This record gives sequence, C-alpha cells and structure tokens, in this order.
Amino acid sequence: MTDRPTILVPIRVLEGESVPEGVPELLAHAHVVLLGYHVIPEQTAPGQAQMQFEDRATDRLDEYERMFEEAGATVERRLVFTHDGQKTIDRMTTEHDTLAALVPNATGPVENVLVAVRGAVGIDRLARVVAGLFKRTDATVTLYHVADPDETDEDVETLMNGLLNRLESLGMDAATIETRIERDQGPLDAIVDAADAFDVVVMGESDPSLATFVFGMPADQVADRFLGPVLVVQREPAAEPDE
Amino acid sequence: MGDQPVDVERAGENVAGETPVTEPDAVTDDTTVHDDDVELERTIGLVGGLAIGIGTMIGAGIFVFPGLAADNAGLAATLSFAIGGLIALLVALPTSELATAMPRSGGGYYFISRGMGTAYGAIVGLGLWLGLMFASAFYLVGLGHYASAVFAELGIGLPFSPVVGIGLLFGVTLTALSIGGTENTAKIQNVVVGVLLVVLTVFLSYGILDAVGVFGGGTVPEQFFSRGYFPVLTTAALVFTSYLGFAQVATVAGEIKQPGRNLPLAMVGSVLIVTVFYVVTIFVATSAFGADRLGEFGETAMVEVAREFLGLPGAIAILGAGLLATFSSANASILSASRAVYALSRDALLPRKASAVNLRYGTPHVALLAAGGPILVLVATGKVELLAEVASFLHLVMYGLICVALIVLRRRDPEWYTPSYRVPGYPVVPVAGALASFGLIAFMQLESIGIGTVVMIASYLWYRYYAGDVTLKGDI
Repeated sequence: MTDRPTILVPIRVLEGESVPEGVPELLAHAHVVLLGYHVIPEQTAPGQAQMQFEDRATDRLDEYERMFEEAGATVERRLVFTHDGQKTIDRMTTEHDTLAALVPNATGPVENVLVAVRGAVGIDRLARVVAGLFKRTDATVTLYHVADPDETDEDVETLMNGLLNRLESLGMDAATIETRIERDQGPLDAIVDAADAFDVVVMGESDPSLATFVFGMPADQVADRFLGPVLVVQREPAAEPDE
Repeated sequence: MGDQPVDVERAGENVAGETPVTEPDAVTDDTTVHDDDVELERTIGLVGGLAIGIGTMIGAGIFVFPGLAADNAGLAATLSFAIGGLIALLVALPTSELATAMPRSGGGYYFISRGMGTAYGAIVGLGLWLGLMFASAFYLVGLGHYASAVFAELGIGLPFSPVVGIGLLFGVTLTALSIGGTENTAKIQNVVVGVLLVVLTVFLSYGILDAVGVFGGGTVPEQFFSRGYFPVLTTAALVFTSYLGFAQVATVAGEIKQPGRNLPLAMVGSVLIVTVFYVVTIFVATSAFGADRLGEFGETAMVEVAREFLGLPGAIAILGAGLLATFSSANASILSASRAVYALSRDALLPRKASAVNLRYGTPHVALLAAGGPILVLVATGKVELLAEVASFLHLVMYGLICVALIVLRRRDPEWYTPSYRVPGYPVVPVAGALASFGLIAFMQLESIGIGTVVMIASYLWYRYYAGDVTLKGDI
C-alpha cells in the first residue's frame, strides 16, 4: 500500500452524521478505513438493530465509500452495531493498524495545515501522516510547538529539525513547511488559538485510548472550539496487551 | 478461539412470507461477522456475564423462598436448595459447551432449534419467552412483599394488602424504563450485584458464627427431615426458580466477549456462587428460628432473621437488599424475554415486527410491551408459588432438551460443531442433567404442570400454524 497512511474515519451512520464537505478531498491520498457504527442501548441485541437497519446503513456507507474513492482514496469499510462505541473504535484502530483517526468536521479546500508537535515521542507516525496526506498537495504545513518553561531553545530546535528532516526524507518539499514556537501559554489554548487561521489540525493523541480523544475531553476542546477537521495521530501500539 | 463458521441450514417461510435471517459468516472473540464487513460488537465481559447470572438468581432464592421452603421441608430445605444447585450445574455444563459452539443470542432456544429442529425449537423458544414472563411476575410479587414490609416497618397500617398493587406499579415502571431508558443498565447491575454479595456475606458470616454458638445463642435443635423425605424433592422443584439465571447468560451469548472462555466461566461460576449463598442462607435462617416459625413469616422471612441477629439496622439492610435483588431479577428477566423474542423473530417463528427497534430510543418497544403486558396480568394473580413453579417447569423442559440436544449433536458430530469447551464426564453429565430436569417436573403441583403443558401445546400449535415450513436444523 505504498506510503498511503491508514486513517480511521468513524461515522455514526444512523444518527445523521455524514461525511462532511471537504473531508474526502482532505483524505484523497490516504487509505481510509470507513467505520460506520451504530450505538444501541443494552435492552437491544445488536443483531436486532442489524436486522432492521443494515440496509439503510449500507446504502449510506456505499455513498460515502464512493465519495472517498472519487476523491482518490482507497477505502476499506466496516459496519458495526455495538453497545460500546469506544470499544469498537479502539478495536478498529488495532485491527487495521491505523496511523490516525479523523474527527470529521467540514472544511473548504485545504490550503494550510497546523501540525501540533508535543515531543519526540511518536514523531515518526506524525511525520508519516503529514507527508502521506499533504506532500502531493499545495497546502502549506506549519509545525507548531508549545514549549515547556524548562525546555531550552536548543531542545526545541533539535525537535523541530528532527521532524523537518523526517518529513523531507518522506518526500516533502521543505519550502512548504514553516515552524512556529510558542511559549508562556497552556498547550491546549495555544493550539486552539493558533488553529483559527488553519483549515486542518494534526495532533498527537495524549491519552492511552484514542476514543477518549475522539469523544472525550481534549477532543471536545480542540474539535469543538476549532470547527474544522482534526486528525488525531495515535501512539505506537503497545506490544499486544494481554489481559 | 478462532473463526467459527456457523453452518446451519435454514429454509422455508412463515405465514407472513418472512424467511429466517441469514446466519453469520464467522464468530470471533470480539464480534459476530456477517457478509464480511458487517459486525456485531461483543461488549459484555466476564464480570458482566457473572452479574447477569447472579443478579437474576440471587433475588428469588434468598429473599423470597427461605420462609416458604422451610415451611414445606423443614431444615431439610437446605438439601432442597443443594439438589436444585446440583441439577442447575448438571445443565450449566452442557449449556456451556453448546454456547461456546453457538455463541448467539437466544440461548437454549438457539441450541435446541439447531440441534433438534424447528418443532422442538419453537416449543422451547416460545416456552422460554413465556417462562421468563412467569419468572418476572414472580420476582415482582416478591418485590411487592418486600415493599409492603417496608410500610409495615414504618408503622403505616394499610387497610388492604399492597403486595399486588406494588408489584403492578413496579412492573409498569420497569417496562417503561426498559423502553425509554438508555442509561448504562449493565454497570448499575454490576454494582447492585456487588453490593448484594457484600451485604449477604457479612450477614451470613454473622449467622454462621451464631448458629455454631460463638455468640452463646446456639442453634435451635431440630430434626433434619422434620417434614419427611418427599417434601425435600417437591421443595427442590419449587425453589428451582432460584436457579434460572444461568440460562439468561446464554440468552445474551451473542454479546459476550471471548465467548469460548467467558461463557462457561460465567454460567458455571454463577451457579456455584449462588448455590453456596442459598444453602448457607437457608441453614442460617432455619437455625435462627426453626422451620415452623420461619414458615410463618412467609416471603419476607429473611427480614425477621436479620432482625433477630442484628436488630433494626439488620432488618433495614435486608429489606433494602431484598428490594434491590428482586428488582434486578425482574429487570434481567424482562430483558432476556425481549432477547428471546428477537431470536424467534429472527428465525421467522414470530412476526419480524415483534422485535422492531424504535429509532428514538433504540429499544425493542414491541417486544418489551409484549412481555410487560402479560407480566402485569400474572402479577395480578399474586400467587408466588404457582408463578415460580410454572416458570421452573418451562425452564426445566428447556434444560432437559438442552442436554438432549448436546447428546444429539455429539453423536451426529456435524462439521460446524466445534465447541471450544467440552463438557467433562460425557455422556454421564448430560444424561443425568436431562433425567434430573425432567424428573424434577414430576414433583411439582398438578396445577403448575397443567399450565406448563398448556403453554407447550399452544406453542406447538402456533408453530404448526405460523411457521410450519421453516426449518432451522443444523447441517450434518
């Protein structure tokens, strides 16, 4: 699958959630794992919902699949009936070994991308997502780092140069990349403030579970306040956690 | 456990022209897979499974039966509960094997329809559905007794007996909650069961110490078989309702994670745990008062036992626990009943409309109402023992047939039948389970046997009329 990054796109397919405008174009160079899911209460057997809603959900997924394929992406899809949306999303990320998940919000044509860089951990995955999605586009990428008070300028420079080099080695044109360093602000507020001027945000996941990011607190704060799409890059999957 | 193809032949259509839904392609630890890309997530873990089993069972055996059982069998009621537990275990083992081979919604109905054909399946499936209604009604009447005892405790004298009225009220509330509530009921159930087990453990530990004389009280000396030997078996038949919960675990088998491991553990584990609790409870209760006085207290005898040991706080704790336990039992049974309706309508034995899910709440309102309505009628009769026995009867028929289905499948040994758990002691255990299940029926009151038989005949006639062409038997 060459260097197409695998991106999970979870959609609550029966609750009016759809693929927002601009998202298929954003993921044109990705391998999309399209997850249509429907959360049902415990009184209902998942099969019961399947019996009644499968056709409707499949029709919608067909349509979404076509949208992504027309934009140029390769698509794999799953339809899941579940009591627990989090468990389903977590399972999908491991089964399909996805690099990142999308919080689907609408966007116009993507001209600039904000890449929030937290630290050296997971930087390779971050680079693969950014390079894979944007190296063939005209979008400018801004690497954005909110420095800790005890972080020296050299530390920051090493970090950013490392990422820059990695992006270049993955085929990105250095001319389309800018860097911005911020100090004296909480990382979350800083990201949200900075994001205003951008079409898309790419950031690392900070919780062990991706799902808490997609639905939980930080996502609410970034995705809700920043109204565009957010790509959440997952951390390296831990060596098969056995229960 | 890897992928398991569930290769089952289905054919035919019912009166309304509906055909059985296609079987899934594969069953994994996390999902049931249909057509490659449609999956049903499994979300109930071992703890959840145990909570369903224990939560369903513990309500009746501890909080409703001690008085009635002691009245019937004397101190030997302890033995009745042990017999019940043994039979439940003999059935739980074969059920576990079948459930790991066919981890699908519907439990016993599914195993029997696939193992022995549609006619048996229909009788068991419809019987299971109705049996769960009888069980729910029984729990609700028990709940009514506990709530009435609360009024008595508060010193509020009522000019009429509020038992049936309260049972009806809770019946309506539960049905409405199941239709409109989308809260996480499973988590609540887990907590309720945990609290119950703690309260009971404290209480029973004290009771045992007291019974063996640590606190100077000493036990009320009594002859073990004070009512003779025969009542031990009739009482076992009566109290068997206390052991219906493990089958509810099989009813949600399609939603259990790692079914190969968790299903047997949850079913066998919950049977063992409640058996211990039951036997100890009866022992403690009869030791405290002697069977005669215990019998006089009736359904809420446990409250008096707690008062004897721990005074008013003990009585209040057991009252609260009794309310919780009977409520959770009734709730679990209503939910299982709606799963049974789903399994039947999936196979075109009931109109598909019966398991329709409403879009607003995502709950199967038709199935829940269809269960809730008859339950209210049954509660209105207020007959604890009759409701319990009919529920036991219908379940025992299913249990016996589950054991037979296991033997049939083992002998035919179809290619798709690859259980990851195999019952120990085959063929002795399933044969004993079948004989014990059918045998226990003989010790029930004639009235209960009559009603149960009528239900079975009606189920069979419905099948002949509505879905006589449908075949569900598994491929050989």
